[in-house]
Amino acid sequence: MKLLPIIYLMYMFVAIYFLFLYFLLYINNKKTLFSYPKIKENYSVSVLVPAWNEEETIEETIKTIFDVDYPLKEIIIINDGSTDRTKEIVQKLQKKYSRLKLINKENTGKGDSLNVGIEKAEGKLIAVIDADSYPAKDSFKKLVGFFENEKVGAVTCAIIPRNAEKFSEKLQCIEYCVIAFTRKLLGYVDAIYVVPGPLAIYRTSALKEIGGFDAKNITEDIEIIWHLTQAGYERRMCLSTHVTTTVPNKFKKWYFQRRRWNIGGLQCISKYKKYFLKKGMLGCFILPFFILQLFLGMLGLGIFVYLAITKFLKNYIFAKYSIQIGTSLVTMNDLHLTTDFLNYLGIILFVVGFVFTLLVLSIMKTSSLKKHSIFNLLFFSIVYLSTYPFIMIGSIYNFVKKNHKW
Amino acid sequence: MIKKQKKIFLYAFLLTFVVFNFGIFMGYMLETSRVSEINILYLEAEMELLDQRIQKDALDLIELDCELLVQENIDFADRIFQEALLIQKYEDANRMNENIIFQHKRYDLLRTLFWINSIRIKQKCGSDYHNLVYFYQFNDPSIKQDSKQRFFSNLLIEIKEEYGNKVMLIPISGDNDLPSISLLLNKYEIIEFPTILIDENIKITDLETKEDITKYLF
Repeated sequence: MKLLPIIYLMYMFVAIYFLFLYFLLYINNKKTLFSYPKIKENYSVSVLVPAWNEEETIEETIKTIFDVDYPLKEIIIINDGSTDRTKEIVQKLQKKYSRLKLINKENTGKGDSLNVGIEKAEGKLIAVIDADSYPAKDSFKKLVGFFENEKVGAVTCAIIPRNAEKFSEKLQCIEYCVIAFTRKLLGYVDAIYVVPGPLAIYRTSALKEIGGFDAKNITEDIEIIWHLTQAGYERRMCLSTHVTTTVPNKFKKWYFQRRRWNIGGLQCISKYKKYFLKKGMLGCFILPFFILQLFLGMLGLGIFVYLAITKFLKNYIFAKYSIQIGTSLVTMNDLHLTTDFLNYLGIILFVVGFVFTLLVLSIMKTSSLKKHSIFNLLFFSIVYLSTYPFIMIGSIYNFVKKNHKW
Repeated sequence: MIKKQKKIFLYAFLLTFVVFNFGIFMGYMLETSRVSEINILYLEAEMELLDQRIQKDALDLIELDCELLVQENIDFADRIFQEALLIQKYEDANRMNENIIFQHKRYDLLRTLFWINSIRIKQKCGSDYHNLVYFYQFNDPSIKQDSKQRFFSNLLIEIKEEYGNKVMLIPISGDNDLPSISLLLNKYEIIEFPTILIDENIKITDLETKEDITKYLF
């Protein structure tokens, strides 16, 4: 067998494996997908909201946080050197909310801002909320109970896009649902590798034990989870509540967001590579999972580019000859499509993947999800997911160049 | 609870293994059926050619209808040309084993035998059909070579469609390491692929129009 089919087979095996892993986890746990532990102890919770030039969203975020049905100890806004009206807006709201605190500091980044907040926080738990995210009213009540298990160091919930009107937003909506669902499933085997920024609650003692966030990492929410995992803490995901956030609807913003996620992932791989295949979930699953994703993505893209260029050159030269001499450019023989064993496996992979996406969307019954047409789902499955390796190229370039800006 | 569920990693692997092998098995069955199909076609073609060779040899002993023999030869040429296109389609697909390549080699030998037979029939019966033998690179042609071969192939199909029975189109891969074909390549001094050999006399390796090639024929 030639090399290319072997590589394709390797791809298919890995992809089918993960799909089956998710299916089996779902079948095994479908009754508890939306369950959450009852609160036995009223944990004191400090909320940290790092903010850098958030004048458009900060007021609504603060109001939403004060609106949750859980008694919060304090809400600390860490103004990370904003040059807009963020500070003034928070100061104005302080008159209305006595538990609202403001820390003003120079711009040093999100990770460092959170570390400043951790120093000042008095709660047994610390919730981190992005300044453009809006937790559901019942979010804290449903998340805090997970900390009854002393091994749990971090808990998160589903992220739902606020804006799901435009085509690009709808695609991200599907993506966020699939991510939330698979994260929940990975939680059953203690394999959660990130608790994202829009809403995450941490055990304060765990954060202090590991020395807080890595200020140099641009995805501090991935890094902190890898660090907590290495320190022996478990992570949990709650599907029965959510936080809404605004997703980018311009290509450039979307691209930069994804690039930032990838660069952060690469930073984490670089930092924790010494644990690769070492005992524990970080070494045995999370790191191999990330590295495999990176390797297969790059290899796949490399093969795709090679095949595309070769095909283009062959067609170009052929067309040049045909035009020069005046023969037909296309014959019936050029239009044939011969099936092979890779087609069979490809069909199995696509069907299983598509059914899984449909399953996720039917389970995650949020109102915004009802708008999805079959076209959106097909576009998501075939085109949208194929863009990931292309973004990775830009990410690797910027990672190597040490361009770690947001 | 979590520890217990970690066995799912193993179960998922086993399930993937089963489904994956099912896909491979289906592919293998498909390839086997294709090879069987080609094999049957080959055996039929081989039998037909053998019959023609006997007829041709019998010309020395008894009086036979030359016109009929030539017509059968032309029909046979059309048949193996169509079968060559079918094999090419199967070869274009990704393969798990190389059985189809062996079939290709067998067909190359059969076509070579047919070509030699065709030369002899032409000599004995004095027919006015033309042999167009198309030698091409089968194993890993370069980008330029591949494009040129596709162009030559389309050009020859156009000629065949236009002139029908007057042209015997015989495609043979020239790089299959078959001694008999190598001998013929040496005899006709064919050193590059693709090359079109017209009536064992004229070699075409550069781009030429259909009209130019037709001039060599008629």
